[in-house]
Amino acid sequence: MKKIYILGLMVCGFAACKPTIEPIAPESGDADFSSYLAVGDYNTAGFRDGSLYLDGQMNSFANILADQLKTVGGGTFKQPLVPGEHGWPVAKKVLGVRQGPCDTVGTIQPVDFSGALDTVNTSDNISPAGPYNNVGVPGMRTVEYLVNGYATLNPFAARFFKNPASSNGLDQLTLMGHSFFTLWVGQSDIMNYAVAGGAKHNTLAPNEMLPLTPAFYTAYDSLLNTLTRNGAKGVVYNIPSIYDMPFFTTISPRSLTLTEAEVRKLNLAYNGTQVTFQTGFNSFVIEDKNFQGGFRQMGYNELVLLTLPMDSVKCAGWGSTKPIPSEYVLTQDEIDDIMASIQNYNEVIRNRATAYALPLVDLNTYYRNLNIQNEPVNGVKFSSDYASGGIFSLDGFSLTGKGNALIVNQTIITINSFYKSSIATVDPNKYEAVRYP
Amino acid sequence: MKKHFLFIGALLCSTMVFGAGFQLNLQGMRQLAMGGTGAAIPWDASTIYYNPAGLVAIRNVQAYASMNLLQPRIRYTSAAPGSNMLDAKEQNYTPFNLYVGGPIAYKSRWSIGLGVYTPYGTGIDWGNDWEGRYVVQNIHLQSIFFQPTVSYEVSDQISVGGGFIYATGNLELQKATPLANQLGQDGQASLTGRGSGVGFNLGVRLKPTEDFSVGITYRSQVNMKVKRGLAQFSVPPSLSGSFVETAFQSELPLPQVATVGFGWNVNDVLTLQFDANFTGWAAYDSLIFDYENNTDLLEDTRQGRRYRNTVSLRAGMNYKFSDRISGMLGTAYDPSPVRDGFLSPDLPDADRILATGGLSVQLFERLHVIGVVEYVFATVRSGYSREEGFAGRYQTKVINPGLGVTLDF
Repeated sequence: MKKIYILGLMVCGFAACKPTIEPIAPESGDADFSSYLAVGDYNTAGFRDGSLYLDGQMNSFANILADQLKTVGGGTFKQPLVPGEHGWPVAKKVLGVRQGPCDTVGTIQPVDFSGALDTVNTSDNISPAGPYNNVGVPGMRTVEYLVNGYATLNPFAARFFKNPASSNGLDQLTLMGHSFFTLWVGQSDIMNYAVAGGAKHNTLAPNEMLPLTPAFYTAYDSLLNTLTRNGAKGVVYNIPSIYDMPFFTTISPRSLTLTEAEVRKLNLAYNGTQVTFQTGFNSFVIEDKNFQGGFRQMGYNELVLLTLPMDSVKCAGWGSTKPIPSEYVLTQDEIDDIMASIQNYNEVIRNRATAYALPLVDLNTYYRNLNIQNEPVNGVKFSSDYASGGIFSLDGFSLTGKGNALIVNQTIITINSFYKSSIATVDPNKYEAVRYP
Repeated sequence: MKKHFLFIGALLCSTMVFGAGFQLNLQGMRQLAMGGTGAAIPWDASTIYYNPAGLVAIRNVQAYASMNLLQPRIRYTSAAPGSNMLDAKEQNYTPFNLYVGGPIAYKSRWSIGLGVYTPYGTGIDWGNDWEGRYVVQNIHLQSIFFQPTVSYEVSDQISVGGGFIYATGNLELQKATPLANQLGQDGQASLTGRGSGVGFNLGVRLKPTEDFSVGITYRSQVNMKVKRGLAQFSVPPSLSGSFVETAFQSELPLPQVATVGFGWNVNDVLTLQFDANFTGWAAYDSLIFDYENNTDLLEDTRQGRRYRNTVSLRAGMNYKFSDRISGMLGTAYDPSPVRDGFLSPDLPDADRILATGGLSVQLFERLHVIGVVEYVFATVRSGYSREEGFAGRYQTKVINPGLGVTLDF
């Protein structure tokens, strides 16, 4: 009796008592993922922390997605990798504890990476080793895909474009013979203008101006026309609002904190102008040539760029005794232009996506909801807060590994629903955000 | 012969109690073997737990000890279309019970006793690097109840009993914090604490006929208060000023349970039992950690749990093969107190259907040994923890052998 009893126990121990559930098996559905071409700018290329470096590329939006596509027949995914981790052409930003000349204590802030310079040969053109599945070019505007010799203007493109001196962006898209593509463009069209502080009050180079909507339409249509040749399928992305990126929202226009004594002195100095101060929080004084004296105080809804040198604010009186140069701020006019352009471009994207029967990942809504809903993902509350938010890298607009993984998941959900596939989403927490000192 | 073996194997596999929530219904081996029933009939000194009124029915002083080897096996797979799968580390738990009690004098209507038992506990260890590490890496809750008890026989038909409960317990919890250092490694929060609480256990036993009995019991809620736990953090050096080691307070309610049970001696050899338990899980509304030293980055936390009250149903039988040997079978339906939207990997609970079986052998005149095996049917539950943003599918399988010894004096 006892013997049988023990036998019964053993049966349970080795078989019946082991859990049996399994994750669902990935299936490709209606699309052919065997050759994936990634077209886009910053996040597609793996630009991160204000620069291009190997780890950023390995955790690019496109590379993470490619890994998932491999489970449903995707082939190798070749990227034009840079050799090093320093950042190219400029050092990447890292968080450090830094005490500025006018700080009493050191604080955690972004500083230039000071590690080994491992960028030798990075500027070499590596197109002979191509073609590449990832043709993302940081800073490349949609309208510039039609510009012959574009690679002579953009060092990231110069690295891997075939015939850089004469070819255009579209020419790079037909080298792979791709069966599937992602088209995530448009952010650079906005960013190049915005990063330069807008157009209204300073002179912009042609590549910093906001493209006109018809030009955007033409370029976008050409891109889709080229990409869908040979029956390739894909997915497209729209453009998020600048209000949802820490590059624009981290420094409040009312960051000027003044004591009573400082207020008295400043009000005396600005006597007779429309600029006045009070104890506590004040709006920065900025350049504005349309106003008397060429300066004014910022409006509550205007934006200060993350590039504003805080040492100059603290030591040199920027924003108080000296107006902040207009390249560091977006005035209401500029913001209106940007927001209108985003809306117009997104309309084009939606329109063309429908025309080419392609699903759209609505990044504009996704970025906005990140902050409104602030729902945790796998136990982590992501937000567009600078550094601590987990999504945006230290340049304030390109994504961290975690941020890219979140967009990959949005992409996969969109692909699965449109192409009836069941590609596995990724665990965003497998990827990195910002490292703290 | 082979067929016979398989049958026995299958029977034991499918005859096997591991309560829903973090309740362990393992306080007596014979009761466990009968699906966790036992409010109506006092089988042995473990009635101190199941129904203190029954103690007076045990006519001599008895000591009782038992232990289980609880082996939960839990698997997680990420919510579709995720592809991750992870088995929680295989951990074994050994909940135990000790009871001693009997009449204060020969043929007295008064009996006294003491029970030491472990009615609540849970533990899970997912490892340090898994998908849900920012929710939980590992968690362990243990509790030990001490219950001095008194029982009085009002008449042949009615007896009553009651006990005071002092409970003590441990809480251990570790989770990763999403603050990476220069090597890209996560930080970690580690909370440990000792808690204690008090309560009571009351029971009435009615015996309208020789063959039929009814038990009604009420065990109060016990609030386990952690007055001074210790929270430790490992974070990147530049943030260590915001995460200093600090004391914390917390409270975990161990819910009230009301039980009605029926026992029926069908004939000389067969006894049937039915119990229904109402468990007041709704008391577990949220888990709060109140840190003594809050900083800009360390705020008190409040996690909603919003447990719901449950009613579990249990049935069991005892069959006397001979004067010395009896066999028991039982089954129970024990629904989960965890609501949809609150299913967290720290306690991936599901409705349980369980089967139990056991064998009691009188080895010597004064010594009984009871062996029992509990099996919880494969419960699979998919769900989402809204507050943590964590979705998954969980499967728990439990095999739980136990051994009890009674010694009569």
